[in-house]
Amino acid sequence: MGSGEEFEPKIVAFLCNWCTYTGADLAGVSRIQYPPNVRPIRVMCSGSVDPMYILKALLDGADGVLVGGCHPGDCHYVSGNYKARRRLAVLSAILDEFGIDSRRVWFRFISASEGALFAKTVRDMRDALKALGPNPARALWIA
Amino acid sequence: MKDLLIAVGQEGREKALSRFLARLLETGAVDGLVVPAEAAPGVITHVLAKDPRLVERSARPLAPVMPLSAAQVVSEVVRTRPSGKVAAVLRPCEGRALVELMKLKQAAPENVVAIGIDCAGTYDPVAYRGAGGNTDGLELREACRVCLNPAPLEDALPGITLGFIGLDDSEGIFVSVHDRLDPAVAAVVDELGLASGEGAGRKRSKAVQALVQERQGAYDAFLNISGISGIEAFARELAACTGCHNCRVACPVCYCKECVFDTDTFEYETGQFLRKAGRKGALKMPSETVLYHLTRMNHMSLSCVGCGQCEQACPADLPLFRLFAMASRRTQEIFGYVPGRSLAEELPFTTFREQELEPR
Repeated sequence: MGSGEEFEPKIVAFLCNWCTYTGADLAGVSRIQYPPNVRPIRVMCSGSVDPMYILKALLDGADGVLVGGCHPGDCHYVSGNYKARRRLAVLSAILDEFGIDSRRVWFRFISASEGALFAKTVRDMRDALKALGPNPARALWIA
Repeated sequence: MKDLLIAVGQEGREKALSRFLARLLETGAVDGLVVPAEAAPGVITHVLAKDPRLVERSARPLAPVMPLSAAQVVSEVVRTRPSGKVAAVLRPCEGRALVELMKLKQAAPENVVAIGIDCAGTYDPVAYRGAGGNTDGLELREACRVCLNPAPLEDALPGITLGFIGLDDSEGIFVSVHDRLDPAVAAVVDELGLASGEGAGRKRSKAVQALVQERQGAYDAFLNISGISGIEAFARELAACTGCHNCRVACPVCYCKECVFDTDTFEYETGQFLRKAGRKGALKMPSETVLYHLTRMNHMSLSCVGCGQCEQACPADLPLFRLFAMASRRTQEIFGYVPGRSLAEELPFTTFREQELEPR
């Protein structure tokens, strides 16, 4: 980001293969416009996203991390999304305790048919992260 | 629950305890006993004892040091379904860690007789050894000074609780026999014909309550002075970390056979290091210090019993006990989870409610 350029947040998105990734795909084939700030990573289940991956993204310079999973009751593996919700709650508590803003981490239920919701989520998250500003860990050599 | 009393004679509290423990082996009520023992003046190690005479002679059930959490020792001995019955002398934090390890399937609860024991706090084992076992002038470890669990949690594991907080030697040692105690061990206790310990039990409970109340203020103050104002302040707290991972080795609840931080996941190529250093201007080496500690907090803080072994094991003297206490206070309160309280209580990460934790 050079001086004078507007800050564009980088979002790393862990998207469940069965719901949110397919939802993102639907946004694409439906030609729904959404900002290009998001770097999707397809995972088999939101429940397979170890908090370590989210932390690594944040410490290595991502401004925000989106975890997308199936709606409650819809998990392909029955309960992965519920377990992800617990892990994310723990992660958020730890981040906040040590002064890392947990609003940089979003967990959303987005189904395969919700392309428009995926696009809206990315837009909303981009706006929210712009308001938060760049992630201070990005340029921190001791982190 | 039955309350009894072991009388303490001239030989003192620790010998009276050792004699009681030796009796469990002598009668064959248990096949082995995990207990601290003194190898040389000031040198304390856990042993798996078979010989009751050795227990009477060398056991140090009140050793004021914890070089290793007994939970790890018991886990090593009874990892799979045990073919023998093992009794273990457990400080409160060790007993709670053992409950967590049992839930994590790292120790089999069958055939373990837990001998919970009040804890008067522990010293740094290296300093204690250096002083030849003399505690004059030594200060209790920070984790012990603010410990809110000086007495074992009753009935978390079937066994016996031995208590002395608030009791002097002339008043004896309080014994609480759990309802689910192994019958052979219960028979040994019956044969000893111990006096009722109801009065001593009441006195001890009051003393424990007063002690916890007194420490609660110290504990809160300890955590509140340590407000960390941002990622930079947090990273500075950890910047002296040399990446030895001793904290993980010493942690009684961190249990993975192969930790992800020992895998080639973090063996980057030169180019990856250079790119990362380029983004940040420089890269602290060894790298991933903050990631390592935050990941451990995410994985283990729900089961953190606050024993402070991480900090004791740290060659860089990082404030790990404080940092983990800060994290675990927050994470445990999300689920109202108390590690080590009950074997029946599910680990929060292994279960869920359909409706909870909203909005996300």
